[in-house]
Amino acid sequence: MTNSTLLKTFAIAGALALGTSAIAAEKIVIKGSDTLGAKMVPQIAEAFKAENPDITFEIAAEGSSTGVKAIITDMADLGMSSRDVREKEIAEAKSNGVDMQTIVVAKDAIAVIVNEKNPISKLSVEQIGAIFTGKIANWAGIGGKPGDISGYTRNTSSGTYKVFQSLAMNKEDYGDQTQKMAGNEAIASEVANNENGIGYVGLAYIDTPGIKVVMVNGVAPSNESVNDGSYVLARPLYYLSNGEPTGLAKQFVDFSLGPKGQKIVSDIHFVPVN
Amino acid sequence: MLQWVFLLFFTLIFSVVFTLMSPKPQDSSFSAESIKKQGGGMFGVEWATLIKVFFGGNAFIAMFVLALITIFLFKEGGQFFPQYRKDMQLYRSSGQEFVGLLKKEVDQFDSLQKELNQVQVKILTDLYEEGKEWEEVTKLTAPFQAFVQTAGASADPLRNVVKEAIDVTVAAKEKVVVNYTRRGITGIDLTTLMTDEESAASLKLSRDTVVEMMPRIEEAHKAFRQNLETTLSSIPVVELLAAREALDTYVKSAEDFLKEIPKFNKKLENYNPERPYTMFQTFTGFLFGSQWTTNSSWQDFYGIWPLLSGSLLVTSVALFFAVPIGIFAAVYVNQVATPQEQNLIKPYIEFISAIPSVVIGFFGVMVFGESLRALSQLDSLAWVPFFPLSERLNAFTAGGLLALMAVPTIFTLAEDALNNVPKAFTEASEAMGATRWQTIWRIQIPTALSGIISAVLLGFGRVIGETMVVLLCAGNRIAVPNVSEGFGTFFEPVHTMTGIIAQEMGEVVPGSIHYRALFCVGIFLFFLSLLINYVAQVIVRRYKISAG
Repeated sequence: MTNSTLLKTFAIAGALALGTSAIAAEKIVIKGSDTLGAKMVPQIAEAFKAENPDITFEIAAEGSSTGVKAIITDMADLGMSSRDVREKEIAEAKSNGVDMQTIVVAKDAIAVIVNEKNPISKLSVEQIGAIFTGKIANWAGIGGKPGDISGYTRNTSSGTYKVFQSLAMNKEDYGDQTQKMAGNEAIASEVANNENGIGYVGLAYIDTPGIKVVMVNGVAPSNESVNDGSYVLARPLYYLSNGEPTGLAKQFVDFSLGPKGQKIVSDIHFVPVN
Repeated sequence: MLQWVFLLFFTLIFSVVFTLMSPKPQDSSFSAESIKKQGGGMFGVEWATLIKVFFGGNAFIAMFVLALITIFLFKEGGQFFPQYRKDMQLYRSSGQEFVGLLKKEVDQFDSLQKELNQVQVKILTDLYEEGKEWEEVTKLTAPFQAFVQTAGASADPLRNVVKEAIDVTVAAKEKVVVNYTRRGITGIDLTTLMTDEESAASLKLSRDTVVEMMPRIEEAHKAFRQNLETTLSSIPVVELLAAREALDTYVKSAEDFLKEIPKFNKKLENYNPERPYTMFQTFTGFLFGSQWTTNSSWQDFYGIWPLLSGSLLVTSVALFFAVPIGIFAAVYVNQVATPQEQNLIKPYIEFISAIPSVVIGFFGVMVFGESLRALSQLDSLAWVPFFPLSERLNAFTAGGLLALMAVPTIFTLAEDALNNVPKAFTEASEAMGATRWQTIWRIQIPTALSGIISAVLLGFGRVIGETMVVLLCAGNRIAVPNVSEGFGTFFEPVHTMTGIIAQEMGEVVPGSIHYRALFCVGIFLFFLSLLINYVAQVIVRRYKISAG
């Protein structure tokens, strides 16, 4: 090649390189809980993108534990968690120089569901705990129609699995007759098809045909009962971040806590905090 | 990790270069080499050598990738055992094992209480069969329900002590772990535990606290006995015969349990928390442990036996259906069918292996499992002891679908084995006057038997390694199947080794004990498949009847 052609090639290559980096969009990486990351955060992200077109999101929803780990190892801008951060994890963060902050973005109620043909419509927290720890194995044990109880739970890495354990079961282990299903939809579907079934799902799934929601300690789950604390099976959903969020992450968190974000939260049947 | 990749890669490059560098024949010498020389080539190397290197290189790449996978698998899985041992050592030194003994006693009482629940079942079933409605039944049985409640509450003194002990031990364990993570030490190093004064002191305090609870435990035991005796002395009169019999069984079990209480006490008194937890115990705990509990607030246990028994149950159902279908279809297609039938049946069966396993799994959940349960609820089939089924996702559903997937494997290999029976054998048999069927049954199948057995073994290997179908259809209950129900065991939900890896791998924290335990399950599967393939090959080689 002649000198001038060589020069031209380099010039074009250099311009392209600079150009692509200028057009390259800004990215927010969010990792963590499936409860937040399945519907809520992607929808808030879409709404955010509609207002800020050159921002892209990378959302990986593989469980609350992965979200905490991602913030500790600086692999994400924001984490999502459907459970509290444990003391061990806060200590690990500190030893990595990370200041783990949690921001409540919504509240989730866990609804206990039974088949609609089941005559039981009220249970106390102790009874729910006894059922899922396997102490009561037959509906006759709590005054229902005789039949072996089929308990459906989430799988063992789910944040919801863990939270239900601490809210309803006094941190005891699940009974070994319970069946681990892949997600909320699977649990709702199994309970709807099994007259002796019982399970727990998030509020977004209580309208599945064939199931009915049980009152816990006499209270039915709703926005009001969660916010005033009378429904005991409720938990806050968190964003996690290293210190106070800054820059793009701060914009996204403010958007989520603002009117548009909270409207999306309530459309998905979580309880808005504002 | 990366250094292994580089090492193997350099071995590959080195072998290629070495082949290229091997001495080439002289141009001018009159030798056998120069006559064979083909001439031409690139970079001073002949075509023959280049072709050899190319094909050899491909073989090397396959072996290289396999070596990489094997090394990675063993590296991750092998680290599980030391880590698990240290975790169990912490379980013991914090006093949790002691509390675990107490918990076992409470669990036994819960099983006793379940027998009382069975009495309730009988009473309630009878009332419902008389046609009464739920509100009326609840009113009628209220006194008995109240009795059941008080009976259940008799263990409360013990439960309260257990709760307190749990809080003490868990707090101590958390403190030790937090102590290490705060100092940037991840994973618990036993040597550090021994020399770190603060952690050792905190664990000793926890141990001593629970052991010092013995007087309170004894008191709780006394109160427990009193409550149980009061319950047994105030059993209500029950009219229904079946319920009365069940109640008598309960009373007997309760009296046996009463006698056991002092023995529990003795066991707790004789417990020694200072024993070290050995590697041997870790291995047996993993291979024969009957509990696989993860993400627990108390203690994670990794025992493979519930998963292994689930896998074996599903495989046995699958092979029960697939082996006869596959082999007899092969016999038919190879020996009896007309050429038109052969051309139709063979590709059709082999097409089954083209269906993606996730589609079959989905079909299983939506159609097969549901129709099986609906079938079991028919009144005409009520005589079958374990019908009606309550679960549509169980080992039988998964096994049935896996049979469908194993049939093409077994069919193809069995058919090949039958094809390889020398024609001379068939002709000799027919020359002796045997009928077609006698020839097939007495000559051809025995001759092809080694191939058929190897086909069955490879079908077994296929089925035990299948993931998607079992994950969707087997019900995912992590418990050793209860064999006391006879054939009903096959209709229980089970979890499998492949299913647990698929279900838990996506959300496990890399480097944790759970992560490594899943790799260990993978290693177990690896060895199992290796064993099956090895046995299949040995059988084929040893029992092969020479054609000449």
